[in-house]
Amino acid sequence: MSRIFVTGMGIVSALGEGKELNRIALMQGNTGIGKTSYLQTRYADLPLGEVKLSTEEILCRLNRKEPGMTRTALLAFLALNESIRDSSLSEQGLGSEQTALIGANTVGGICLTDELYRDSNSSEKGSPYLFSYDCGSVSLFLQSYFKIGGIVSSINTACSSSANAIMYGARLISSGLAGRAIVGGCDSLAKFTINGFNALHILSDEPCRPFDQQRKGLNLGEGAAFLVLEKEELCRGKKIYARVSGYGNSNDAFHASSLSENGEGPFLAMKQALFKAGLEPGEINFINAHGTGTENNDEVESRAMIRLFGTVPPFASTKASTGHTLGAAGAIEAVFSIQNIYHGEFYPGLRFGEPISGIGLIPLTEYLKLETNPNHIMSNSFGFGGNCTSLIFSKV
Amino acid sequence: MFYIHDNACISPQRTFPEAESDLEQISEASEGKLFAREPAYDKIPLGVLRRMGKAARMGVGAAMELVTQKPDGIVIGTSEGGLEDCIKFLNQIIEYKEGVLTPTNFVQSTTNAIAAQIGLLSANKGYNCTHAHRGLSFENAMLDAYMLLEEGKKKKYLLGAVDEISAYNYNIERLGGSYKSDPVKGPELYEMHTAGTIAGEGAAMFLVNKSADSAIAHVQDIKTLHTRDVARVATELRAFLTKNEKQMARTSLLISGENGDERVQKYYSACEEVLGPNIPVARYKHISGEYGTANSFALWLATRILQGHPLPAHFYKHAAPVSPVSSILIYNNYKGLQHSFILVTDPQETPYLA
Repeated sequence: MSRIFVTGMGIVSALGEGKELNRIALMQGNTGIGKTSYLQTRYADLPLGEVKLSTEEILCRLNRKEPGMTRTALLAFLALNESIRDSSLSEQGLGSEQTALIGANTVGGICLTDELYRDSNSSEKGSPYLFSYDCGSVSLFLQSYFKIGGIVSSINTACSSSANAIMYGARLISSGLAGRAIVGGCDSLAKFTINGFNALHILSDEPCRPFDQQRKGLNLGEGAAFLVLEKEELCRGKKIYARVSGYGNSNDAFHASSLSENGEGPFLAMKQALFKAGLEPGEINFINAHGTGTENNDEVESRAMIRLFGTVPPFASTKASTGHTLGAAGAIEAVFSIQNIYHGEFYPGLRFGEPISGIGLIPLTEYLKLETNPNHIMSNSFGFGGNCTSLIFSKV
Repeated sequence: MFYIHDNACISPQRTFPEAESDLEQISEASEGKLFAREPAYDKIPLGVLRRMGKAARMGVGAAMELVTQKPDGIVIGTSEGGLEDCIKFLNQIIEYKEGVLTPTNFVQSTTNAIAAQIGLLSANKGYNCTHAHRGLSFENAMLDAYMLLEEGKKKKYLLGAVDEISAYNYNIERLGGSYKSDPVKGPELYEMHTAGTIAGEGAAMFLVNKSADSAIAHVQDIKTLHTRDVARVATELRAFLTKNEKQMARTSLLISGENGDERVQKYYSACEEVLGPNIPVARYKHISGEYGTANSFALWLATRILQGHPLPAHFYKHAAPVSPVSSILIYNNYKGLQHSFILVTDPQETPYLA
């Protein structure tokens, strides 16, 4: 079976636009979490990871009039555009039947909470956003804008959505249904999700502290990231960042919005990813943890890591820098994991002070430049509904 | 590609339980909506059932018939998931001005909640994924299941689709011009020559694996495409026919997703033209209504036909097939943009060679 390489990446997050700005922010231990400038909500005082671009500013970048554009789709546009330029994909390449597009998001156009309220309840004329609310609307826009010719799908498995988009794209290539897959996810800050997580009492009123005993919950963020995956045969002469070597998907089958005490779902997802990659636990050099900063996740994820690895490799959660970007998180953290490999460096988890009692795991808290590039990085994403996915990226 | 071994379908018609299916007596749309005939759901614990939205009830209710066979994972396609819960929560946000809200609707509103509930109620820790790609959600779930079975040839999976009519998505689609304003009676849907269709909903679930033994249908091939170009659809169909020449030689039925919307009729007409006048055409959206995953109802119909239950006359556009049907092509398009071809054959006639 041919190997699957990452030949392009694009990202926008609260840390900035583009992979270089994101990388510099991570190296310097900067955070994108703070007060919002654009989002209108009663909870605007909560720390949130907002992308520092107005929706109107991004709209201008499209260079053409598109009706019904949502912030979610626009963030996806920025990241996808960067990834295909990075991979030097031609119009012909994009239009090929061999090129798949797999997007993921959880809120879709529901970021337009007030418009959706009116459109779903009123009998008057609809807004321009009537067909921009569903999850599929983002991939459908990207497909038509970039004229992508192969299989197109949209995945929603809550907070593991874009990890599953990456996994589905890699499997499309493995199975021969595609030669190349542009995969990733996006989400924007929305009254809908802020109120939802707030009702669940898992939003922190302080910048989040993943894996810390004093953690108070998560900070929501927004952003998008896309990767260009290609089978080895299509990569001659191209820049190659890393390869997708393993993936595992398992359901925790315990509770709609929290993980089981032993973290069976996370454990099985990580274990299957290792099996797929043909690796022993000891061969993983670093884990980009799901690490949301909630009481439930960080403790359960720790327990699952300890069960699987015994001695847990260095790990951290970059959600302390970006916030939890929901449907974008898996793809954003895939970009960071691949940068770990490509640049030979690990990014710190911020604001950690005290290990979780009874667990004792300590995440990496300082930027680390490595002498040799690491071989294998694991990236975890777990979602509501018990949807757990783990990915492994490896050095080429 | 893979074989279907068992199925369950909750729809606006008498399709559930499977053994009592009857497609002769049809329920008509009322005010342009074909609501599902929901069963009592006696396999879902009452406390859980009470908190479920309709999409979850239908999806989980149909799935519960099949999960006793312990599938290795769950793949679901849904264009909207439980939109009713989603908008209920949204209404709370606006009406209570972001005050103190209950999280139940929020948790249930996530599109993956249905696949998750099936996993939870059947203690299934295997692969679990939800494709939410509007009119090709189910087809992508099918491709996903196909790949899972290529990766683990001894495994079996629950594959299905579900979508609901909520007051809210109906309103959005209505504002967007998706529905007819005149009342529609049965197959008259196809003779009105006006814009729009009727709303539908339902859930169809299938148990799939790679074994022909005692299978009820064989999914031979799936092709999806995004285009508004009629000529391209015809070209892709010709290529699909050439690729599957052997099976197609015996194709004796087209199940067409025709929905009475004159704006998308040209695609269905073009496909009929490619197939020629000798292939009978069956239509079903007068009994299922239109929704993003209506094609799962078409696949369920195909499995019925291949099990020796001929379709009643109201399905046929012209004449019914004269000989038993052993090979069925399903063509559907959603809003003239998302198209799919699915080839389904009699599993006993075409031993799988791979």
